[in-house]
Amino acid sequence: MIRIERVHKTFRGRDGSPVEALCDVSLEVASGEFVAIVGASGCGKSTLLRLVAGLVPPTEGRVVLAGREVTAPRAETAMVFQAPTLLPWADVLRNVTFPLRLMHRTTPDTEDQARALLATAGLAGFEGRLPRELSGGMQQRVAICRALLQEPQVLLMDEPFGALDALTREEMSLELLRLWAARRMAVLFVTHSIPEAVLLADRVVVMSPRPGRVVDVIEVDLPRPRSFEQEGSDEFHRCTSRIRAHIFGERNARAA
Amino acid sequence: MIGLFAIWEASVHLFGIREFILPAPSAIWSATIAIWPTVLDHTLATLTTVLLGFGASVLISLPLAMLIAASPAISAAIYPLLVVTQSIPKVALAPILIVALGANEVPRIIVTFLVAFFPLVVGTVAGLLATPPELIELGRACRAGKLQELVRIRLPFAVPFVFGGLKVAAALSVVGAVVAEFVGADAGLGYLIQTSMAFFRTPLAFSAVVILAIMGILLFQTVAMLERVLFPWSSGAEHAATPAA
Ligand SMILES: Nc1ncnc2c1ncn2[C@@H]1O[C@H](COP(=O)(O)OP(=O)(O)O)[C@@H](O)[C@H]1O
Ligand SMILES: [Mg+2]
Repeated sequence: MIRIERVHKTFRGRDGSPVEALCDVSLEVASGEFVAIVGASGCGKSTLLRLVAGLVPPTEGRVVLAGREVTAPRAETAMVFQAPTLLPWADVLRNVTFPLRLMHRTTPDTEDQARALLATAGLAGFEGRLPRELSGGMQQRVAICRALLQEPQVLLMDEPFGALDALTREEMSLELLRLWAARRMAVLFVTHSIPEAVLLADRVVVMSPRPGRVVDVIEVDLPRPRSFEQEGSDEFHRCTSRIRAHIFGERNARAA
Repeated sequence: MIGLFAIWEASVHLFGIREFILPAPSAIWSATIAIWPTVLDHTLATLTTVLLGFGASVLISLPLAMLIAASPAISAAIYPLLVVTQSIPKVALAPILIVALGANEVPRIIVTFLVAFFPLVVGTVAGLLATPPELIELGRACRAGKLQELVRIRLPFAVPFVFGGLKVAAALSVVGAVVAEFVGADAGLGYLIQTSMAFFRTPLAFSAVVILAIMGILLFQTVAMLERVLFPWSSGAEHAATPAA
């Protein structure tokens, strides 16, 4: 579904010096696959997502989506940001339908589909509320519904639960899996949380900073549907400790 | 408010302050009532200037602000000019305009506009540029063009800022109209203040000041009410871009 081929991305820093955000990154994501990306801040995770989204062009290499090179934002992709980024003036329902309205892709059923989606996300009855009347967790649910309503084949999520408290976060990750299982689009999910990455993903991509590179890709061999009980399993520990070794081992090596 | 007037009335009588220095509210009231058709004419003349000047500020400021927000180059070219218009004292400018354009309504509207438009431009530009980058990126991810981005994202986001500017501009329009009338007018509350003071008819001058204050308050309240009715999410809006935990 997504093929990232030897991508380099260099930004001009504020002082004019080049910042190498991504260096020779290659990755393939099959359709319906859930891939998590972990790594320290500044290692180019957001840049990678924005490349796939077609929001920034690569300096070198290319991103191919459904057989066509990505040169601009595409209808097949939808994005969820760390902040809910809802329109403060629009109610929940109009926020969820906003992308489709912007792209003139609404149908007579759009509103009903939006209501149904909101209901599965536990937001029935909140359609007419303004974003500021909702909690952070509910706002982020709205943002996820907004992305899902576009029926994307590729869902890009940039630390979507990063601003939420730990309890809401756990609840939302299982909810996300439920929504994903019903639709089965490819997901690229950036997170800071190693357990979250392992719990959610089929594969976890570990990145390292300066320049941003892929240091390892770990297959998570846990049966689905996933649950928090699996956090006690051997496979879960194998995956988390291998990721930790990459992230913290490197730091120790550099400190030495 | 009523208490203030009561204290005012009482002190004038208690300390025997003479009327041409500080008239009592009752004296102001009777002076107004005595010639109320004239006062009404002056009030309507000023209101016309205020509304036309305020209208001109809105019509010119909003497109101007969009232009400034659209590109740093345009902003760099226009902003210094705007600041210059703000540093020139309008009292000095008014006579020049009257000589150039004649003693009619036009120079008064221009002076009113010049006094009122700046905060509106600054507020609107601030609003257009305050749109969170994620919201802009969301628009881009939905393949919105520049125009769509402006109309569907930036402008609505700027609404609370625009209304902040509108409220200041409403109050300043009254100031601007009076400044213009002081310099060149044969009607209006500014003119009434000047002619009354020339004949030591202080109560009438005070009457004009009170009417001006009421006009300013009403205009401000009208703008605030429009905001509440048309954009209920705006008044006191805490933008959703900052996630509430
Ligand atoms: N638009 C940009 N201009 C300049 N530098 C950027 C830009 N975007 C990202 N960078 C730089 O690229 C590197 C990677 O950033 P990012 O992709 O945001 O990392 P992450 O999401 O993993 O924290 C950082 O050093 C950052 O400063
Ligand atoms: Mg990031």
